[in-house]
Amino acid sequence: MTEVHHIQVPLWYLPLLVLIPAAVTAAAVPWLRSRLKKQVVPGNVPDWSIPPLDDGRGQGTSLIHRWDVRCKIVTMLAYSFAVASLRHPAAAGAAVLISLAVLLAAKVSFHKVVLRVLALAGFLGMLLIVMPLTVPANPGDTLLVFGSLEWLEVNVRGIVLAATIGAKAMAVALLMEPLLATAPLPVTLHGLSRLGVPEMAGQMVLLSYRYLHVFSHEARRMTAGMKARGFEKKTNLDTLRALGNFLGMIFVRSFERTERVFDAMQARGYKGRFPDPGRLRIQWRDILLTGVWIAAGTALVWFDWVKG
Amino acid sequence: MHISDGVLPLAVTIGGYAISAGIAAWSARRIHSRDLPKIAVVTSAFFVASLVHIPFGPTSAHLLLPGLAGALLGPAAFVSIGLGLLLQCVLFQFGGITALGANAVMMGVPAVICGWFFQQVRGRARMPQAVAGGLAGALGTFLAAVFLAGLLAAGGEDFFGVAKLALAAHVPVIVIEGVVSGFTIGFLARVKPALLQSSFRDAAGLVHD
Repeated sequence: MTEVHHIQVPLWYLPLLVLIPAAVTAAAVPWLRSRLKKQVVPGNVPDWSIPPLDDGRGQGTSLIHRWDVRCKIVTMLAYSFAVASLRHPAAAGAAVLISLAVLLAAKVSFHKVVLRVLALAGFLGMLLIVMPLTVPANPGDTLLVFGSLEWLEVNVRGIVLAATIGAKAMAVALLMEPLLATAPLPVTLHGLSRLGVPEMAGQMVLLSYRYLHVFSHEARRMTAGMKARGFEKKTNLDTLRALGNFLGMIFVRSFERTERVFDAMQARGYKGRFPDPGRLRIQWRDILLTGVWIAAGTALVWFDWVKG
Repeated sequence: MHISDGVLPLAVTIGGYAISAGIAAWSARRIHSRDLPKIAVVTSAFFVASLVHIPFGPTSAHLLLPGLAGALLGPAAFVSIGLGLLLQCVLFQFGGITALGANAVMMGVPAVICGWFFQQVRGRARMPQAVAGGLAGALGTFLAAVFLAGLLAAGGEDFFGVAKLALAAHVPVIVIEGVVSGFTIGFLARVKPALLQSSFRDAAGLVHD
């Protein structure tokens, strides 16, 4: 295999293999996204960049819900790195299957999973379009040439590479849902701080997560006001000026609010930490699950090594 | 603008974590530890601001704001941006937990550089400040795009095409970001100039013990 193989395919394969699938995906992703947004959020919170946090609290009885949060974090992180290091498409595909199995076991809401996948679609779609066309032709590669369009050489290795990356990104992103949705955020952050992450880091996450909702609500109100005054977004300098002022206003208000929030926290006796949300205990079951999981990650890496 | 999981080589992701941990420690030391909760609250404002979409012809771009964050927060911008990325990758729909360190370096280092640049260049009057803010905003996005391209190119020859495209795609964003940042800084210089002081701590006017 020292030469570049050219495979000549008829021109009508181009719409069949490339254009139609691309168009269908490009149309389906925004449609699905808007549909799901409508379904998940009934009216009151129309912005799905701000998901409800504590889904699964209390009602979760799966194996993963009962898993000690420290074991869960360490395992997921190690496993994510193992997945990210894979090189062979088959291994990456196996990783996606494992993630899907975990999602089933954790009984995660299907909508949230689809939304996560859709959020990745932009970047991965870009890779899938760009890489086949730009990957340099190495010896042993196969190039597809569509009919008489000789300038359009599609490198099969690029497709495989982009698909592998997509599968890895998907496998890791899908695991975020069971990691976070199976325990309330304060418990997860408590687990992090027990693992040696500075306690302040966790508190900052909690605080900024909480005020994210406040500020986005405020931004929505300001947007409504601008619309009421007849503002319409266009590609011109006036729009940019209005948006610049809009951002400035968000900052002015938020800095002022920050002061008041901090005063209120101190007035309530804030001394640099919040109360612990509860005690954590590691049982043999937790360690067993961790062991199984790490074994799965190791098996994936080994499989990848054997294949590649 | 994000690098998702599985794109970068393992060494780059781990290196990204190591570098960003170092810079975050430096950045956190420049702030009073009691001010960290405030940085957290301000981070959410930046997060919300970065969700604003700006129309650009038939499509739209959303702001990245590393330059503005640097101008307003100074050294604290790195902590703030790291926190914002963590929120984005974990709580929201993106994955990217393994690439988090690299993403933080990509966005945070330009922010700190821009903050320094803004403090050096800006004058007292409103117009020079607005111009300096606009330059800082454009510079921040430009540097972030260069970092992005560099990180992608670290994946080997196969990624050069993607890196070039990513760089080209950011050209309009750089312009938009510069203009909007200029207007924002001009607005702040007129409305609340205290926010543009050398660091977040001074701007907040906290009484220290």
